Amino acid sequence: MMKTLSRTLLPLLLLGGLPACAAPAHDLYLFGAVNVTGRVIGSRDVAKNGVFVRTAEGGFAHRGINYPAMLGGAFDPRDARVFHVAAICGVLTTTDGGFTWRIGTGWDMTEPKAVAVDPNAPDMVYAALPDGLGVSADRGHSWARRENGLPARGKYTQIVTVDRTAAGRVFAGSETGIYLTEDAAQNWRRVFPTVDTVTDIRQSPHDPKHWLAVSQSAGALVSRDGGLTWAPLAGIPHQQALYNVVFDPTRAGRIAIASWSLGLLTSEDDGATWVFRNDGLPEKHRVWRTAVDPDNGRLYAAIDGGALYGSDDFGRTWRPFGMEDSRIQSFVFVPRAQR
Amino acid sequence: MKKLIIPFLLLAALVSAQPSYTGPMPVPPADTRPDTLRRAYHARVDETLDWYLHAIDPAKPLTREQALVKLVRGQDAAAVSQRIIELLSVPQSGDMFWMFPWTAIAFTGRDQLSPEARAAIREAWRTYFPMRGDTENHWVMYYASLFLMTELYPDDPGETWFNGKSSAENHVEAKGFLLHWMDLATTIGQGEFNATHYIGEYAIPMLYLAAWAEDPAMRQRGRMMLDLLMAELADNTLHGVLRGPNARTDDTSVLERWNALATYFSWTMYGHTPPPSGYGGWGIYFAIAAHHYEPPPLFHLIATDREFDREQRDHKRSRRRWRYSDVEMMPVYKTGYIRRDYAVGSYQGGVTDPIQAHVWDVTWREDDPRGVHNTMFSVHPHASARVLQMYFTEYPDWMIDLLASQGKPSYGVPDKILGCSPYEQVFQDLDTVIALYAIPPGENFQRVNGFFSRNLRDVTEDASGWIFARGGNAYLAYRPLAPYTWDELLGYRQLPRGNSGYAWERFRPEGPVDRILVSPHANNGTIVQAASADEFESFEAFQSAMRALPLEFTLEPRPTVKLTTLRGKKVAFTYGETPVVNGQPVDYSRWKLFEGPHLNAGLGSRKITISHGRQHRVLDFNTVTTSDYVTP
Repeated sequence: MMKTLSRTLLPLLLLGGLPACAAPAHDLYLFGAVNVTGRVIGSRDVAKNGVFVRTAEGGFAHRGINYPAMLGGAFDPRDARVFHVAAICGVLTTTDGGFTWRIGTGWDMTEPKAVAVDPNAPDMVYAALPDGLGVSADRGHSWARRENGLPARGKYTQIVTVDRTAAGRVFAGSETGIYLTEDAAQNWRRVFPTVDTVTDIRQSPHDPKHWLAVSQSAGALVSRDGGLTWAPLAGIPHQQALYNVVFDPTRAGRIAIASWSLGLLTSEDDGATWVFRNDGLPEKHRVWRTAVDPDNGRLYAAIDGGALYGSDDFGRTWRPFGMEDSRIQSFVFVPRAQR
Repeated sequence: MKKLIIPFLLLAALVSAQPSYTGPMPVPPADTRPDTLRRAYHARVDETLDWYLHAIDPAKPLTREQALVKLVRGQDAAAVSQRIIELLSVPQSGDMFWMFPWTAIAFTGRDQLSPEARAAIREAWRTYFPMRGDTENHWVMYYASLFLMTELYPDDPGETWFNGKSSAENHVEAKGFLLHWMDLATTIGQGEFNATHYIGEYAIPMLYLAAWAEDPAMRQRGRMMLDLLMAELADNTLHGVLRGPNARTDDTSVLERWNALATYFSWTMYGHTPPPSGYGGWGIYFAIAAHHYEPPPLFHLIATDREFDREQRDHKRSRRRWRYSDVEMMPVYKTGYIRRDYAVGSYQGGVTDPIQAHVWDVTWREDDPRGVHNTMFSVHPHASARVLQMYFTEYPDWMIDLLASQGKPSYGVPDKILGCSPYEQVFQDLDTVIALYAIPPGENFQRVNGFFSRNLRDVTEDASGWIFARGGNAYLAYRPLAPYTWDELLGYRQLPRGNSGYAWERFRPEGPVDRILVSPHANNGTIVQAASADEFESFEAFQSAMRALPLEFTLEPRPTVKLTTLRGKKVAFTYGETPVVNGQPVDYSRWKLFEGPHLNAGLGSRKITISHGRQHRVLDFNTVTTSDYVTP
């Protein structure tokens, strides 16, 4: 543990940590694993994995159980000690900030890829499943499928995202397209077809009608009408998979996309033009995830099997932020007011 | 043989020599009375246990396995208790491979271990959070362990278990999955069928259920599933050696067919082949509870009687497909034909497991199979991120790179001989196999690899287009349908594991090496015919017979073969069409769960009859009963 901490903290100490004036309004949670290269199920672990929380010094400290296959978390807006994690064995829920857990799902739901809480109905939790959609109406304690309108086959779901402006309005990114429900998953309809998996769907923090999605082979997609219609976003390669997309909450018009094959792409004009921002990243710029810090606009690039990198000029220059040999599956910024 | 003798001499000087692995080939007992078989079975189990005990170095702390064996033998409970506390005092890992060993220790030691040691074990099930994994065998290990441990601690609340669920909740969930899996296996067939290694990951949990489950129904079901696994093993092995097809195997076992964990089970159950080195590694976890089980004598007869030819047809299923497929699990139509000198096995082609499936082969008998590559087959070396994505919930572009670092070095190489392809279709009639390939443009490897063992004799490239060879007492004829060249097959040597996971280098083994027939043509095919040397006056007579067989084939627009087999069957097979035998299309819809002289069951029946001669055992999962009867 000390070895892990020193490894993650040291670069920050050398770099002076976070800016002295920064008093983050958000806690940053990372979900992922370190020492990932070559790991298989059943491997002997030499480090702790799962939930990492940014420390006051700017490093990351592991919290709670060792769990190498946590993919993404979603917090209850009423109490940040309550959050749900998509993990290989199902959806885990903690009520004490990540120290103890309960699997809410049973053997009939496995390998959820993402989980989302409805901010307007926070007892409602949605899970993207490899064979459909799971819903909990009791804060993750019990789960049921709600798949009316999804195809019998073709419902591998990679991402589920809730519209923050309307309770029960949820998007699911699947292998056959983008699906929308407006009644808390009682009924789904496809709003955009694809032939490959939709990997991420995000709502703009600046305009709730503005949505972006990225995919495995359909490139990036944009919607300006609240996700009712979608169109390809020009200038984005579609030969390789795009892993996730983020808006910069601190400045409208800034967008970043992560790709294992392509690296990091950014736009600063709301998607009209795009630039690769891989200079300063490792030569194998396998960007698994990107994120933007809502407190200071810092752009993050999580390198698969490498370290976490940050940029304070939206990708023009990069510096490492620890977490070597990691696979960071998701970043979640939680308002400290939720504590 | 020489390379076996030298280590044998070296090991003979050691107390911890592994007798059956290094000793001469075992001879199946002529005396097959139940008490004789039973004594021999328990003696083999004891040999495994003894080997672990003898390997104990007083100067070193006990390993987990040694501690467990001491508990089995009722030795040094106090010292073992202390060692268990030590073993659990450090962070744990291993997921479901952690769960079943500690389940075994908990049950074996429940009346011997100190209260402190038992408390340490119980506490570990609260603090260590094993992952459930993503594969069927992972789940069977996970839930069988959880089922048993929640019976051992039946009333504990959620906060005392790693996953936050109470004993009762975990018990219900574990039972639910186990019943579901058993139901699948006895209605549409096993997913990871005839696995050369993963048989252990099923057999061990089933043995533990049979040995320790308090619920009498689950105890009975565990024993019945173990019976089914061991009966299938008996039926699918050639003198103890499991041959293809295999839902999952590996780069070693697919060539040296004997060198597999499955062989440990053949040896333990039936004693007609040597066990692998170290009793296959996981074998010890079977041995520690194996005295709770005995294979019935009729299984022994199925395993050892190879004096009459037999064909067995089974229905299996693919690994679960998450996406990019209209079906959740592809039906697998498996054919096996076994004779004294060789076995031919196949399924219809396509992808059952994206990495480790082995579709077809001819495997011949060797007097001593240790170190021998006693098999012949061909493959399309398919590697595809999209196909991997059908079975794994992962992103596309990193998986192929990753597999080598995760211990599967051959997935993305052009000369691989392990794996299956969506562009291979196979038909088998008795000891004739026709494999057709239609590899679309854009596929990485536009070639077919035929495996030619270093242990073949008299390999002859005949002007007729047939390649003739001898393997053991079998004659083999291999017909490539497109031009080819020869390459040596390099091995994979594991390098010291660094930060990049498993690392490998290719190397040329010393001495004679295996060869691959490389046929770099997209529309392609292979025909293989096997026969016993005893059927012909000479090898030349076999060749003459093969040359005389009527054979027509074309490769464009699709591969098509019309062949009269050595057995007189007129077979017509076109890629993408149903095979036709003597004018009748093969009706796969009539395929049963098991059909053959030894195993029989209807699809969906949950009722399997296992037979040899007049002896029968019926495993009826509808009524959870096992019944034995003898026909008059």
